Amino acid sequence: MTLLVALQAQAEVDEVALLKEQLEALQQRLEDLERRLDGSGRTPAQSMRTPESRFETELLDQAVTGAERVEEAQVAAIDEPAPIRFGGALRFNHFLREDVSDSRTRRGDSGFDLFRLNVDGEIREIILSAEYRYSPSMDVIRHGWIGYRFADDSMVKLGIHRVPFGLLPFASHNFWDGVPFYAGFSDNHDLGVAYQRSDGPWDFHLAFYKNEELGSAGTLARYAPDVVRQGEQQNEEINRFNARAAYTLGRDTGCEHELGVSGQRADLVNATTDSRGNHWALAGHLDSRCGRWNLQIQGIRYVYDPDNPAGVSNDSVRLGAFGTSFDLAARGKLAVANLAYNFALRDSWLDQVICYNNYSRLFKDVGAGRDSELNTVGCGIGAGPLFAYVDLIFARNMLFFGDGSMADSDDDRWRGRLNINLGYYW
Amino acid sequence: MSVLRRSTLLFVTVMVLLPAAAADRLTVVSWGGAYVKSQMLGFILPYEEVSGTTVDVLEYTGGIDEVRSQVRSWNVRWDVVDMELFDAQRACRENLLMPFDHDTLPPAPDGTPAREDFIEGSLLRCGIGNVVAATVVAYDQDRIEQPPQSIEDFFDVQRFPGRRGLRRSPKVNLEWALIADGVPREEVYRVLNTDEGVERAFRVLSRIKPWVDWWRSGEEAIRLLETGRVSMTSVFNGRVFDAVQRGENFAILWDHQVWFMDVWVIPRNGRRTEQAADFIRFATNTESLARQMRHIPYGPVRRSALERIDPEIRRQLPTAAENTATAIEGDAEWWAANLDRLTGRFERWLERPVMVPRELPN
Repeated sequence: MTLLVALQAQAEVDEVALLKEQLEALQQRLEDLERRLDGSGRTPAQSMRTPESRFETELLDQAVTGAERVEEAQVAAIDEPAPIRFGGALRFNHFLREDVSDSRTRRGDSGFDLFRLNVDGEIREIILSAEYRYSPSMDVIRHGWIGYRFADDSMVKLGIHRVPFGLLPFASHNFWDGVPFYAGFSDNHDLGVAYQRSDGPWDFHLAFYKNEELGSAGTLARYAPDVVRQGEQQNEEINRFNARAAYTLGRDTGCEHELGVSGQRADLVNATTDSRGNHWALAGHLDSRCGRWNLQIQGIRYVYDPDNPAGVSNDSVRLGAFGTSFDLAARGKLAVANLAYNFALRDSWLDQVICYNNYSRLFKDVGAGRDSELNTVGCGIGAGPLFAYVDLIFARNMLFFGDGSMADSDDDRWRGRLNINLGYYW
Repeated sequence: MSVLRRSTLLFVTVMVLLPAAAADRLTVVSWGGAYVKSQMLGFILPYEEVSGTTVDVLEYTGGIDEVRSQVRSWNVRWDVVDMELFDAQRACRENLLMPFDHDTLPPAPDGTPAREDFIEGSLLRCGIGNVVAATVVAYDQDRIEQPPQSIEDFFDVQRFPGRRGLRRSPKVNLEWALIADGVPREEVYRVLNTDEGVERAFRVLSRIKPWVDWWRSGEEAIRLLETGRVSMTSVFNGRVFDAVQRGENFAILWDHQVWFMDVWVIPRNGRRTEQAADFIRFATNTESLARQMRHIPYGPVRRSALERIDPEIRRQLPTAAENTATAIEGDAEWWAANLDRLTGRFERWLERPVMVPRELPN
């Protein structure tokens, strides 16, 4: 019995010794492994206090097996946007014109406003963007261009695109827009080539436009006003150069101020006299986004100097868009003062409520016409894909309001319009 | 032998061999960057050596959606997951995780049973704690003119200009927002438990929102700092240590650090749950934890591992006395109950820009 106990004790001692041996061997293997990872014979703690060696990185890369890389690739594929994306909008409009008695009697009019389709994409460095719009008054391509993105992120665009002039992308916040839009100095799209680049706080655009976007200056169904050939006015704008430079103070902070200047110069060809006049415009602009406030200030000076035949006034040029044509004083100044506030929303189903007052004015330097003014107070309200503009628009001597005109007219009454536009955007 | 018999034999052979082959691999899901590196060196490579198992390491950015999806579809590809404590508690409540038998954990080298060696709260019904880490504010001493002294300074963009980095999550951000608004740290979760408290926290966050770059992984946070994109950022303390080792002149603001625990869990319905448990036992033994801590200053959950840590590293742990004066213990229970609700609200808040957008629908 004693022998049995002794043998059992000896066996336990042997087992402990064996386990210790195994443990030591294991520890030795671990240390070897760590030394291999370190690649220099230092202890791991020492190695971590020096810059990571390439060898160690490679070993770790190998250790993190192929499965991880596959997963990363899958994640990247999910995160990356599809190369070509589709979007669009469907909008309806309701308006009440206070200066039109039957509009008041009917409590306003409602109707279809717009159906829009967008295609955007980027395959390698080549970019595509196009937008088609159908509305009761027109059926147009608003823009359609192909771009190339360089390694320094600068870009060249070819096709119909927004003219880089003045406040970008818009010189207003509301649905109805401001006087610069109707004068062709905001959100205007023409056919040409443009180069844009950003260097830190600087932003530059250079562009050349052969002519208006549709290749036919007689067409009135266009998204934004251009000089058109209609009636006795047979002018057309060609060979326009644009340059825009802007500097952003406080870039990437909660209070950014973009200060910029823009200029453009074009020939004005008259089809009747077969001769050239010219056009130029200069603008200075400030777009200040500070916290929830946005202040936009802009001043524009422009001249159209057409070479009309005898008997046709040089005091105005004819513009066309939305299926109609209208006149603009040939020389003038434009002023814009817009203020907007983005409301903080509590835990609400609304995503966005932005209220604004947009004021713009055309000071006419020729003719006997009174200045044209437009003031819109309203809010843009967003909830998911829905976005509504509720605007109260007041205008004096302005296109589409009574007998107002941006050229030679003298309508001195302020006229109002309530406009509600509801759209589904995808 | 007929074709049918040969096919049957082949099928049986494949069915026998396949699980055996599968048993030699284990998929471990963790957090990437310096953290997974410390795990690789601490115990994953040694485990491969000892067990002969190949460990596939995947990275993720937290949450339980993927685990839920895998478990419910009975298509579990993740064998072991490194979860934040509140995610582990949520997943456990949803019955997505395997229970863990604490008695199978190895004792400390001096024989102290595991139940006594692990720190309080680190042994969960569905998981085993591994490290205590903290979310802190870090800044680049070479770029910042005036170092922040408190969390209030982080939220003061007038006195401390420059962009900030914050994790894209309500966690920690809401706590810090209340601290910056004057709420004592002991009151933070009581205040957050009311609608007014949550509203108050979001209001404070809105004040700095235009200055914030949001990150999802600790690596991104460090990159924001390295590239000078932000002047200071919230980040997991271990990532700062790693960047400093690489030569960056980063410093940590320990004021109101929010510390939390990471937990190893095993999703239910997996095919390698036994092997997964074996991995966890290895990963949480004293030697493994101590070895991991040589590479990242996170606090080990075993007392016996803490004793083995270099004093220099011990001073950089979230649990070091000099770092805990104003520390907040992340309330995992509270977050487990409120995370889903607040994440929805946080994401909606995030999507709503503070500044007037450059372009409204047209």
